[in-house]
Amino acid sequence: MPYTAEAFQNEFLALGATEVNAIVTVTSSGAEGGRRTSGATEIIIVDASGSMQAEGRINAARQAAKAAVECIDDGVNFAIIAGVSTAQQLFPAPGQLAVSSPQSRSDAIRSIDRLQASGGTAMGAWLLLAAQLFGQRPGDIAHAILLTDGDNGERAGYLEQVLDSIAGRFTCDCRGVGVNWKVSELRKIAQAMLGTVDIVAQPSGLTAAFEQMMVKAMGKTAADVQLKVWTPVNATVRFVKQVEPEVMDLTGKRIEDGPRAGRYPLGSWGAESRDYHICVDVPAGAAGDEMLAARVSVVEGDTVHAQSLVRAVWTEDTALSTKINRQVAHYTGQAELAEAIQAGIEARKAGDDRTATIKFGRAAQLAHASGNKATEELLATVVDIEDAATGTVRLRRKVEAADEMALDTRSTKTVRVGRAQ
Amino acid sequence: MTMTDCASCADERAAGAAFCEACGRPLASSPGAPPAEIPPPGEPCPNCGTPGGVGADGYCENCGMLAGRPRDHIEADCGAIAAAVTDRGRRHHRNEDHMWLAVRDGEVDVVVCDGVSASFDPDVASETAATTAGALLASSPDVSAAILGAKEAVAALAATGDPRRAVSNPACTIVAAAVRGSEINIGWVGDSRAYWLPPDGPAEQLTEDDSWATHAIAMGADPIAAMRDPKAHAITAWLGADAAPVLPRTGAFTVVGAGHLVLCSDGLWNYLTDPADFAATVREHLRAGGTLIDAARGLAGFANDAGGADNITVAIVPVSSTPVSAPSPATETDTTAATDTAKE
Repeated sequence: MPYTAEAFQNEFLALGATEVNAIVTVTSSGAEGGRRTSGATEIIIVDASGSMQAEGRINAARQAAKAAVECIDDGVNFAIIAGVSTAQQLFPAPGQLAVSSPQSRSDAIRSIDRLQASGGTAMGAWLLLAAQLFGQRPGDIAHAILLTDGDNGERAGYLEQVLDSIAGRFTCDCRGVGVNWKVSELRKIAQAMLGTVDIVAQPSGLTAAFEQMMVKAMGKTAADVQLKVWTPVNATVRFVKQVEPEVMDLTGKRIEDGPRAGRYPLGSWGAESRDYHICVDVPAGAAGDEMLAARVSVVEGDTVHAQSLVRAVWTEDTALSTKINRQVAHYTGQAELAEAIQAGIEARKAGDDRTATIKFGRAAQLAHASGNKATEELLATVVDIEDAATGTVRLRRKVEAADEMALDTRSTKTVRVGRAQ
Repeated sequence: MTMTDCASCADERAAGAAFCEACGRPLASSPGAPPAEIPPPGEPCPNCGTPGGVGADGYCENCGMLAGRPRDHIEADCGAIAAAVTDRGRRHHRNEDHMWLAVRDGEVDVVVCDGVSASFDPDVASETAATTAGALLASSPDVSAAILGAKEAVAALAATGDPRRAVSNPACTIVAAAVRGSEINIGWVGDSRAYWLPPDGPAEQLTEDDSWATHAIAMGADPIAAMRDPKAHAITAWLGADAAPVLPRTGAFTVVGAGHLVLCSDGLWNYLTDPADFAATVREHLRAGGTLIDAARGLAGFANDAGGADNITVAIVPVSSTPVSAPSPATETDTTAATDTAKE
């Protein structure tokens, strides 16, 4: 597959400096002819708890699930899970996967009409059933959509336990409808399963959201792409973060791979481009020394698709070593932006208005300076931005819950350098 | 560089030849052998000593250090006819100087270029300039034409390769000399210098720097104060896409008696601004080493010992009004001096 990996960095370090930063842009033009290199399996998990009766949510969820099924390519395996206090397979027969065809899709759509809202919310059990179904097709591009409208009703710690056991088995995009669900809960799932999280405030928006997720999922052509990072002896990887299209810390997902190298899962790939921020601590060198601080490879199994070198060159020339790489600075700012927003929301919830104002002010400043218009607009629904350049904001007395949740879920969305949104 | 008899045909090496006079094969390194400067993959790392440490991309698989950069130290040894050395120095992270040395019967072409650090890819600029001018000098001793050719080639770099070159185009200085018997043509742009070193007395600077200090002194500034000014080394002319349309300055000399033509970048002359010091130091190294290449090596070592603040390049060509020995005029082998040898 035609992957490229390009590193952006200022390789020059002042004498004594040990921190090496680089942004690695990984781009793939997708598989040849847009064909998948492996099979694909899709599972749609729809919350069918009693609360879904409200605001016509269950009806909207039915329509959305039907629209998603329509988007599934012929030949792709799929299943639909109805989420109640237990996980119930709605389609096809329990324990089985259907192969997408006009016939199977219309059968699935008919079965969706049987979806009734009654019972509780048990996300751990739903995900576990999905993992079991995906387990029938190892090597497939495995993707799930999870829709919910409320808090998880399982005993504390159970969801985390499930996530630990199934992480990396499939990717899962999570959507919360209404405002009675917890952003932190769905974010936990999305982070563990390398997926996205977002709010669909109005049930009427569900169909578009499902279609969008399914079209994106159908565009994936490779199942399990990984970033392999080699570092020299006595060097440590401080962090590996995806920073575009959204911030996702991958540091903790490292799997050791031979001496001085580790793999970080990137999930499935299609024709797309993502940016990664890699920070490595190396032993300091002498003036003129050149060190390979990291060799970053895009790998799939044993195949190396692309490679990029992160270098460190020590110099006494401060004109060189003090130059700040634009990409590194930009994404450092975007990561701080996400943190500032989440800290601001937390402080506001805790009643600490002073901290909230400071955090939101910093966020407004960062969003403005980096041209992240989408985040700036979301911020403006929670605070009055008096002067974005200086970060002067005032907390709004009345904030719509949906606005705050949208800001929270989308706080990790980033923009590329110089790309206005 | 140790020059041996020709390994291919066992012919004895003619003095100064970089190529075998009998079979034409290069004498600098045996055919097919990898360059001596970069340990090939699988070699022990010169930094940490890990056996088999050097990876395919030249970095050690253990400590990550670059095993060697060929341009850090290059030597060109043409026996008793000419010698040149370029060295990274101690402070710079790479060698942005480059040189060209070619000897034919009684003819020597020599070029020294110094990349402008503030530009992007200055090492590419100096290499392009030196090789372009050197190749042009092989067909004509017109140094002005050779420098203008180099100027065009360097200017063209801005539009190729890395897009950052367009923003800060590659640039360099140049000093070139064509020695034809006792006739010397020199030309230059920037602050790389040519000196004439007579058997005794101070060296005579044949070039006049295109630099702020030189201009200030010409306008009447105190020479010592001007040289101490932070702007002293700011050059006022260079080769590059953004260079003003300046014609290279040139000079032509006929040698009476004997002496040495010395071309060097500011990495050396900075430590020897006084012409008497320059002459004394070069003579000392000529005497001490015995061979020209030893003298050139010694001068690079001198600059490194003095601090090695910049890249160092020095080329030495003995010139006399009565040629010592004229090898058979039948051979017209263009002996571009090959590069070689160990990092210090």
